[in-house]
Amino acid sequence: MSTGPSSKVKVGSSQPSEASLKSKRGMFRKDLHHMMYGFGDDANPLPETVALVEDIVVEYVTNLVHKAEDVATKRGNLFAKDFLFLIRKDLPKLNRCTELLSLDEDIKQAKKITWRDED
Amino acid sequence: MDQIPSSSAAQPTEQKSPETPQPPSTATPPAPPLSTDHTATPTPTLKPPTITPQSQTTRPPFNTRPWQQQPYSHFSLPSPPLPSSSSSPGGIAIGVPAPSPPPPPPASFSSLAPPSYGTQQSQIRQPMQGIGMASSIRPGGVSLNQLRPSHSSLRPQSGPTSQSPSSQNFQGQGMLRMSTLGSSNSPSPSSSQNPHAQNQPWLSSGNQGKPPLPTPTLRPQTSSQSFQQRSHISQQHHHNTPATTQQQSITSSQQLPQTSGSGQLQENYGQQFPPSRIQHQQQITRGPGVGSQRPPLGTSQSSPFHSGPPSKTPIVENEESSTRIVTKRSIQDIVNQIDPSEKLDPEVEDILADIAEDFVESITTFGCSLAKHRKSSILEAKDILLHLERNWNMTLPGFGGDEIKLYKKPFVSDVHRERLAAIRKSSVATDTTTKNQGGPSAGNAKGHMAKGPANIIGSPT
Repeated sequence: MSTGPSSKVKVGSSQPSEASLKSKRGMFRKDLHHMMYGFGDDANPLPETVALVEDIVVEYVTNLVHKAEDVATKRGNLFAKDFLFLIRKDLPKLNRCTELLSLDEDIKQAKKITWRDED
Repeated sequence: MDQIPSSSAAQPTEQKSPETPQPPSTATPPAPPLSTDHTATPTPTLKPPTITPQSQTTRPPFNTRPWQQQPYSHFSLPSPPLPSSSSSPGGIAIGVPAPSPPPPPPASFSSLAPPSYGTQQSQIRQPMQGIGMASSIRPGGVSLNQLRPSHSSLRPQSGPTSQSPSSQNFQGQGMLRMSTLGSSNSPSPSSSQNPHAQNQPWLSSGNQGKPPLPTPTLRPQTSSQSFQQRSHISQQHHHNTPATTQQQSITSSQQLPQTSGSGQLQENYGQQFPPSRIQHQQQITRGPGVGSQRPPLGTSQSSPFHSGPPSKTPIVENEESSTRIVTKRSIQDIVNQIDPSEKLDPEVEDILADIAEDFVESITTFGCSLAKHRKSSILEAKDILLHLERNWNMTLPGFGGDEIKLYKKPFVSDVHRERLAAIRKSSVATDTTTKNQGGPSAGNAKGHMAKGPANIIGSPT
């Protein structure tokens, strides 16, 4: 499960994990930059704002994953349906997620067909 | 400790109960915080007896609020930080701010150890308790002032008098009016009387009004006490005529300051302020902490804390802003953000400011405890963040740094695992049997299956 690797990383050596974390600080910087502009912020949002939004996003994802692990603990594996279960109450998000997943499926199918055709 | 029981017992012997400052709120038993407070106060004669009856009556509704029990209400209603409060943080917290006592009753007051002061504070802060704040340092102006006098009542009576006017200054307008009005049955200006009428119902129902705060089990007493004191005091004012009670018992002593103050008020509502202001200032100079804690509730009335010369009425706002964490202006701004047409009563603003203050105090106190637990003498952001996250369910993005949040797999004991395995086995067996035998036997199989797991579950005990 996800906890295993993260805990190992943390326990084994704090420095590397911290370093990696720090280096991953701006993981979503570029994407968030554009997304914020799309949602109404300035074309060049403040770096502090982007950092804050990134913190919020990371925190949200972390909490979501923890909850998904709780849900999937009995099964032992983590599936996409666990996440869908957690956002079941948020209809816009849920619909968007299912739409994206179905699109992903379609793309995979299309790729398979393409490959087959090529072959 | 004996606070609660003593407080209840103290009713008959108000003055004698040395350590029973707080009227035993019917609500609860927060022994640890109260006990600490209790021990700290040498002369607790905080109007225990008279207030108790009221508190008892008012207390129950207080605690029965639904939102009080919700651990994670959005607003700062705290999931009662039981663990934190249980550990003597209440006592510690009280002591931490250590607002120095006001000068006048200073002799008596200053002699009190910080914890005692805090105790008083906690008692007074009953309404804030709901939020689980540590003994709020800043009780309602009335209650606090009165408490002081009561404490000092053991000592000189003059102290309370001087304090009463100042205390009144401290009180928010609403409360101040109430106290003044209550005490001044006489010809006080019509303006004062009008608010009185309005405030009265507020007072009487004050318990209910104040506590829309969840009362953490740990601090119920203090909150209730403070609340009781307030209501009690206000009521007392109504009944007592000015300048009569100083000699009375301690319980009345609490009210004494007010009555004496009210007497002054009676003469002239406006005039009262200058004298009280002076005294107030004296008190303030005593302890900056005190001053900060006692943010003058009445903006119009409070005099600037730090300004030496007695200020006139208009200066109140400056004082308040310098001593308050959240000024009324900021509260109004926040309300405007929510709804531009919304208006808040002055009492509500006062209470909100009090709540904010209590919140900050409790948070800081617990953060300090965590820092100490961390064996560090520096209060860092992570201490506060941890407390908010665990006890208040508040997350503050942007301050967390790079710390990873580890996920702990839910702990499964061995016994539980065995039982789960047994259930799975029996369910598998049931499935096979049902498949083989078909429908009719399914019921039997299920019955057997149920018995199987049940046996397994039952046996390990």
